[in-house]
Amino acid sequence: MSKNPTSHTPIDVGDGAAIPNKNDAGLFTAWRIAFFGAIFVSLYLAFGKSDPYYEIFKFVPDGILVTFKVTFGAILLATCIGLITGLGRISDNRFINGAASLYVEVIRGIPLLVQIFYIYYALGRFVKIPDMLSAIIAMAVCYGAYMGEVFRAGIQSIPKGQMEAALSLGMSRGQAMRQVILPQAFKVVLPPIGNEFIALLKDSSLVSILAVSDLLRRGREYASETFSYFETYTVIALIYLVMTLFFSKLIGIMEERLNAGK
Amino acid sequence: MKFLRTFTATAALLAALSLTAFAAPKSIKVATDATWPPMEMVDTNKQIVGYDIDFLKAVAKEAGVAVVIKNTAWDGIFAGLDSGQYDAIISSVTITKERQAKYDFTEPYTSIGQILIVPKTNKTAKVIADLKGKKVGAQIGTTGAMEIKKVTGVELKTYDEIGLAFEDMAAGRIFGVVCDEPVAAHFALQKKEYKDKFKIVGKSFTKEAYGIVVKKGNKDLVALLNKGIKAVKAKKLDTKIHTKWVK
Repeated sequence: MSKNPTSHTPIDVGDGAAIPNKNDAGLFTAWRIAFFGAIFVSLYLAFGKSDPYYEIFKFVPDGILVTFKVTFGAILLATCIGLITGLGRISDNRFINGAASLYVEVIRGIPLLVQIFYIYYALGRFVKIPDMLSAIIAMAVCYGAYMGEVFRAGIQSIPKGQMEAALSLGMSRGQAMRQVILPQAFKVVLPPIGNEFIALLKDSSLVSILAVSDLLRRGREYASETFSYFETYTVIALIYLVMTLFFSKLIGIMEERLNAGK
Repeated sequence: MKFLRTFTATAALLAALSLTAFAAPKSIKVATDATWPPMEMVDTNKQIVGYDIDFLKAVAKEAGVAVVIKNTAWDGIFAGLDSGQYDAIISSVTITKERQAKYDFTEPYTSIGQILIVPKTNKTAKVIADLKGKKVGAQIGTTGAMEIKKVTGVELKTYDEIGLAFEDMAAGRIFGVVCDEPVAAHFALQKKEYKDKFKIVGKSFTKEAYGIVVKKGNKDLVALLNKGIKAVKAKKLDTKIHTKWVK
């Protein structure tokens, strides 16, 4: 045990790809090398080496579309679930608070892979949900719990005085939350939501076990018939890398714009 | 004196080592995807059992070699052979031209065909083409998946395990499953959860033969296994195993 625990600097490690830091200037940043390197290697493989890489690049695009659909669908749904959960977690109502906390505890304690199987196959016995939708629901239910914590922290980061001031102006609690607290909290939670989005984009590869034809599944289908495992997974990894790096940059730019508006 | 003793001991050890290297293998490692009942599956005692397993054991006994069976996921089972994690695959592998281009096969040891299974509520479907515009499932990378792919207008859905495809059909997400005939019989005729829900449509529509797969160029092992297969067939042990597992 350290003698002076307060002297530690807090570390912050997310599970998404690193969102590029504006201060990290210079032509050869890690992001640029990785992003343009991946694109260059992809182009070289597709057109320079062609066989079988060109075939693989031709085989997987509909899988990329499915990956996007699952990711965007899940992040939208997860944000809604997260907002409700976050509000529930700070609620004074013991029942609502308890329900929201229970949801967060249960979901965070179960591996995502198990949840996906569970929602798809176990619930499939009772309710008929189409495959893509149940993949989206499974991802959203899981990420909603993490997102709930993000929203809770975001709302709590707004000084208490603001709520008190809004109430003293005659606003109801709901009004104050909607018109004063949440608009500010959204700015605070946007970067962590961006991180969750990138983590979700990567985790969406897990839905390939549900026979949802996402990018990874398409790759596996190609490899299982042609036996070109090395080539196929090289291509799949490159495509995921380009996607996550692209979105991390985009989120970085968005964040900058928001800060500039302050 | 001591040096001499060490020297002779080392020489003897080296000789013994080189001898074993040139002699026939004492034991071979064989991979199977035990999710394909009744050909290969894991029973309630966590043992890998099935037609292929009994057949392999009989072949190994006749060939005078011990076998270690390794349960491996189908998707990637060939990659494991490439990287030398095991010496052979016995997992209801149909001998196809594409597979023969990359791997060596033993003599065929049993023949089967692909067959279509649909929910009992479907009264009209007779062939895969009757399910146009619908999703039909198969295990990833199997000949069943390849047959579905050949039919234009039918959407192929691939599963890691065939059991998951049947479960998805029970949930109403897909409208047909294509797999090897004995496997179809196991799921659609014998499994009590599915017996009332599914039916087998018509007869099998392909002619295929299973072979044991080894790495390309591993002629010694192919010869050894073929010797075993020949002896098993001569003693009619394979028909015995067939009646035991395939009903």
